[in-house]
Amino acid sequence: MHGKNVELDKVVMRFGGFTAVQQTSLEIRAGEFFSILGPSGCGKTTILRMVSGFIEPSEGRVRIGGDDMGGRGPARRPTALIFQNLALFPLMSNWENVAFGLEARGLDKRTRRERAYELLALVGLEGKEAQRPGALSGGQRQRVAIARALAVEPAVLLLDEPLSALDLKLRQYMRAELKAIQRKTGVTFIFITHDQGEALTMSDRIAVMRAGVVEQVGTTDEIYDRPATPFVATFVGENNVLSGTVAEADAAYARIETPLGPVRARNQDALAAGQRAMVFVRPERASLVNGHDLDNRLTGRFERRDLEGSYVNLFFTVGDQPFIVHEPNLDRQAALEGEVRLGFQADDAVAMRAGALDDA
Amino acid sequence: MRDLVRSYGKTLTTIFVALVCFWVLIMIVLPQAFMIEQSLWTMQRDSALGVKIDRAYADLATMNYDLGNARDESAKTALQAKIDALQAGISDMEQRETKPHKIYGLQNYTAMSGLHFRIFVKSIVYALAVTVLALLVCYPLAFTIAKLATPQRAALLLLGLVIPYAINELLRVYAWLMILDYQGVINSALEALGLVSFQDKTWVPFLEYSGSVFVALIYAYVLFMVFPIYNTVETLDKNQLEAAEDLGGSIWRTHWRVVIPHAKPGIAVGCIMTFMLSVGSYSVPQIMTRGKSGDWFSQLIYRQFFETQSWNLGAAYAFSLVLVCLVFILLMMKLFGVGIRDIAK
Repeated sequence: MHGKNVELDKVVMRFGGFTAVQQTSLEIRAGEFFSILGPSGCGKTTILRMVSGFIEPSEGRVRIGGDDMGGRGPARRPTALIFQNLALFPLMSNWENVAFGLEARGLDKRTRRERAYELLALVGLEGKEAQRPGALSGGQRQRVAIARALAVEPAVLLLDEPLSALDLKLRQYMRAELKAIQRKTGVTFIFITHDQGEALTMSDRIAVMRAGVVEQVGTTDEIYDRPATPFVATFVGENNVLSGTVAEADAAYARIETPLGPVRARNQDALAAGQRAMVFVRPERASLVNGHDLDNRLTGRFERRDLEGSYVNLFFTVGDQPFIVHEPNLDRQAALEGEVRLGFQADDAVAMRAGALDDA
Repeated sequence: MRDLVRSYGKTLTTIFVALVCFWVLIMIVLPQAFMIEQSLWTMQRDSALGVKIDRAYADLATMNYDLGNARDESAKTALQAKIDALQAGISDMEQRETKPHKIYGLQNYTAMSGLHFRIFVKSIVYALAVTVLALLVCYPLAFTIAKLATPQRAALLLLGLVIPYAINELLRVYAWLMILDYQGVINSALEALGLVSFQDKTWVPFLEYSGSVFVALIYAYVLFMVFPIYNTVETLDKNQLEAAEDLGGSIWRTHWRVVIPHAKPGIAVGCIMTFMLSVGSYSVPQIMTRGKSGDWFSQLIYRQFFETQSWNLGAAYAFSLVLVCLVFILLMMKLFGVGIRDIAK
C-alpha cells in the first residue's frame, strides 16, 4: 500500500441554489495525515464525498495521484471511506465484512479469508474473525471498519468523523491507533472532524473550513499559533478577543485602541491606522501580573476558578467581556478576589482584521 | 396480568381481556373448529331410501283402499295390523332420512378423486409461480421507493400503489379482463398495428392462458408483497449501500449480500401473504378464465359447498388448503431463517 496525493482544483459544489463549497483549491500530499476541520454544515463532508466519488463537483476537478477522477464512481477510485456510523454489515461476520471488497474483486474464498484474517490481526482483532460486528465494542467495531477499508488497498483513506460516537477515553486511544495505522501503511488519510483537539493531535496538516470556504491550511502548529482569520483563532483552541481600532501600526506591531485601553500586538494583517481590528490572546499566554514585566496590562474582576487538572482556568470580567487566563496548577497560588491585574506580552497577542468569530 | 391491572385499572383490564377472549374464540377457534368438525364426518345415507319411502306410501294407500272394501272382520284386523306396521316402518325411514347417521373418520380427506388432486397440486404450483413473479416485480419496486426516490416521489409512488385499492377487487379484476379480452385493449392495439384481425378471429386469446390469471393475481395482491418488503428495506442504513458501492460491490452483489439479507423478514411475509391470498383466491380465476381453462382449487371448494351441497367434503378440501398454507409458512420461515417474531414485526 502506498499513498497518493489528492488535488482539488478550483472545486465548487452547489446543491440547487445553495453553494455548499465555494471555489476551493487544496493539495493534499501523498502519505499525509490531513484533517478538514470545521463546524457542522461547513462543507467538509461535501469535500469528502467529492473525493470519494459519491458526488461530482459542479465545477473544477478532483485529481488523485495526478489522474482526473471526473466521471469515476466510488468503486473506481483508489479511495476507501470510513463512515461516521461505520456502516458495517451487521449480518456478516467480521472477516466477511473485511473481505467484502475482495469478494467484489473476484478473489476466491480462501484468499479472501486469509487476507481478512491478516488485516484483522493488523488492527488487533485476532480471535474475533467469526463474530458479527454487533458482538464487538465500539472501539473494536471501529477497527473492523478500518480493516475493511484497508482491504481494498486504497491510496487514500477518507474518514468521516469516525471517532465522534466513542467515549472520551476510547477516542483518545483510537487517535493514537489511527495515527499508528497511518504511519504503518503510508496511506494518505483525509480526516473530517469538528473536534479541534482531534485534528491537532493527529494531523500533519489541517484545513479549517467555515461556510463553504477554506479559511486556512497549515501544519497544526501554524493553525494554533498563527491563525489566519478571527474564525480560525476562535474555533481552534480558546482565545480571548479584544476589539478596537488601530491607532498606529508598523510592519511588526500595531497599537489598538480598545474600550479597555490601548493594546500592543503583532501586526499580522499589515493593518494601518484607522482600521477595525481584533486582538487575540491565548489564555495560556496571558497571566496575572504578579510583578512580571508585561507589555499589556488590564484590570479584571475575578469571577471563578475551574480546576482542569494540570492547569486552572481563571475567569475574569474585563470591562464588560469575559477574559480567561490559564495558570499552571501550582500549590502556591494565593486565593484571588476582587480586582486583579492581568497582562500579556505583545509577541503573544495577534492583531488581525475584524471578521466573523466562531459563534459556538 | 397484574401489570395490566396496575397500568389500566380493573375495568379496562376486564374489557381488554374480554375483547381478546372474544376475538380468539369467535374469530379464530370457533370457525376453524366448525370446519374441522364438518370435515371429519359423512352421513350414512341409503340412496334408495327415498324410493323405499315412496313405495311404502303407495303400499299404504293400497292397503287403506283394501281396508275400506274389506267385509271380513278378521281380515280387517289383520290388514289394520299390517298398516300399523308399515306406518311404523315409514316413520322410521323418514327419521333416518331427516337425521341420518354421522360416521366420523378421515374418509373426506381420502376421497379426493385423481382429477381433483391434480387440480389441487396445480393450484399450489400456480400460487407458487404467482408468488415468485410478484416477488420479482415487487422487490425492485419496493427498493426503488425505499432507497432511490426522493421523499416526495416515494410518497407519490406509494399513493399510486394504494389508490387502486380504493376500488373493489372485483372491479380491478374486470379491468384486467377488459385489457386482455379477445377484443380487449391489447388486442385492439395489436389490430391497430395490423398484427391481428378481429374479423378473422386471429386475436391473441390471452384469457385462455393461465398467465392471465397470474397477471390479475399479481396485480390484485401487489401491495401485500410491496409493503412488507418496503418496510424492511426502508430501515436499511443508506450508508451500508454506499459502503458496499465504495468497496467496489456491484449492484447484484450489494443486493445479494447486503439488501436481501436485511429484507428477509419482509420478503418472507410478502411471500406468505401473496401465496395464501392467491392459492385461496376465488374471484380472480373465476372471472379471468370464465370457464375457458380449468378450475382452480378454490373454485372446486366453492362447488363442493354450493353446487354439490357436500359441506363435509368442501370442509375437508378447505382444510387441506389451510394445511398447505401452514406448511408454506413454516417452509418460508425455515428458508429465510426468520422467526415468528421477525414476521410479526
